Amino acid sequence: MNAFTARAPGRRSLRVWGLAFAVASVILPALPMGPLFAQPPLPLAVLWAAYGWAAEDESGWRAPLALGALGLLHDQLAGGPYGLFVVIYLSAYLLGRGAAVLMSAPNLVSLWGGFIVTTLFTILIVIAVERLFTPIAVIPYAEAALITAIIFPLVRPLYMSGSPSSLGMRR
Amino acid sequence: MARRRSVMRRAGAGRRIPPGVLLAIVLVVAAAALVVTQATQSQTGQAAQQAGDGAAAAAGRAATGPVRAGENLLDRIGSMWGASARIQELERENRELQAWRELAERLAERNARYEALLGMPEDSFGEGADVEHSIAAQLVLDSGGPFTRTLVANAGADHGVRVGYISVNENGLIGRVVSVGQRSSRILMVDDYNSRIPVMGEASRVRAVLAGQATRPPDLYTHPFQMQSPRLDFIVGAQSLREGERVVTSGDGGLYPRGIPVGVARRSGDGWRVALAASQRPIDFVRILPYVGIERPEDTLVEDDGPPLSASSSFSSIGRETMTPPPTAPVTSAEPSRPRQPPARTTPSAQPASTQTPAPAQPRPQPPTQIEPAPAATQPAQNPPAQTPAAQASPPNAAPSQPPEQQE
Repeated sequence: MNAFTARAPGRRSLRVWGLAFAVASVILPALPMGPLFAQPPLPLAVLWAAYGWAAEDESGWRAPLALGALGLLHDQLAGGPYGLFVVIYLSAYLLGRGAAVLMSAPNLVSLWGGFIVTTLFTILIVIAVERLFTPIAVIPYAEAALITAIIFPLVRPLYMSGSPSSLGMRR
Repeated sequence: MARRRSVMRRAGAGRRIPPGVLLAIVLVVAAAALVVTQATQSQTGQAAQQAGDGAAAAAGRAATGPVRAGENLLDRIGSMWGASARIQELERENRELQAWRELAERLAERNARYEALLGMPEDSFGEGADVEHSIAAQLVLDSGGPFTRTLVANAGADHGVRVGYISVNENGLIGRVVSVGQRSSRILMVDDYNSRIPVMGEASRVRAVLAGQATRPPDLYTHPFQMQSPRLDFIVGAQSLREGERVVTSGDGGLYPRGIPVGVARRSGDGWRVALAASQRPIDFVRILPYVGIERPEDTLVEDDGPPLSASSSFSSIGRETMTPPPTAPVTSAEPSRPRQPPARTTPSAQPASTQTPAPAQPRPQPPTQIEPAPAATQPAQNPPAQTPAAQASPPNAAPSQPPEQQE
């Protein structure tokens, strides 16, 4: 066996790696590991998971529950009000579900565009919470969200299948 | 009817909300409510946040344990190469530090003894002892020489020690310096067989001679520097001496100052002994006191050209020596005080005793030292035969001559 004959990683292993990145993006900023692991510049990998799991037709209850748990954990570690990241991640999930319904033949560009829109929407949620309820830091979240949106194409295989066009067929 | 139900089921199948989406909507609503609730009731949210922080901190410590353990791992691995040399260096430093520690302990003990020695009360030196020029010294045991109970101090002539100086410690009298070397001196202890010290009871004033009885050298190993209780001989008025009375030096004979604590009187059979105060603790450090005894007046005669006591009455002589003549003229306060005029320069005939004795009812306007010089110096013509040679040699307006001791 050599590099040319090696099989590509399976869909299941990619999904596990995606979940691991999502959990790491929540925990690592809370650990004293230096500025490189702060958020930003560490991306919000849970947003990738929320958008990707929604596009993968995760219509079951596991994805919303996992996102809610990660949101609560992120709220606790970030010191923010409970529920903020839950709202952000589940909103991204719902938007992803909507985008999956609307996209009859999605491709990389449309998926990236849809993720950018989703990210901007979460920024609006944070701004609304900051204006209406409790003071929170909007700028750091916006920076992390933009970084997350920019590098989305690089990590898309961890959260979506290899053929985006199949998404519309599942719908 | 059944057909109608299937049509309705097919028609509603497209609008059916997936359970995941429904769950997500519910969770979003619940989370939003949670955010609003925390915004309105901050105390509840803070309490939950603090509780969560504790658990998160514990989890964080557990999670970062391996990370923290791995910090400086490369440095530690690199330092293992030089561990052997480092251990040897540390062992050498440890040996040096142990030596320093022993030295520090010795110095601390010596310092404590010095402090105890310097803290001696003033009355333990006796009357007339020159405390300011005393010499602190350390004793070593020595039984050589003509005496059996002697100690050698590490202070000698270079340090100012002379034969006859008194040795005391914080408890009382130790002995007396009997020989002095360049840097050492020998102290005869008070319990030596040859030691005789005039003492007295502090309260009863009973005089006696403290006679040492010890005939064997001091035992270094079992009773280092312990002194034996000497005997009291030649007790004058022994019935007045009381058990437990403090015994001090009497100063008789002029070899010891008066009042140095010696010990406590104890009845022993038909006689008395003294439990020496200095033997309460092992003798290590002492203070050597310079002391010059009171000399006999015949040894230090001073030439006095005054008349012998038999030449005049004792009353006139005493009055002439101790009293000043009354002022015959008012003395201004601006006149500086002058030393006392020696009345010995005038004869008793020149200064009648009646005129030199002050009237008891008249207070003197100036201190006794301010003596009007007129009777002696300003009226030489009135009593020329009475002038002494010194007074005759001085001009009439000269200052009065100094007394004999000041002239010396």
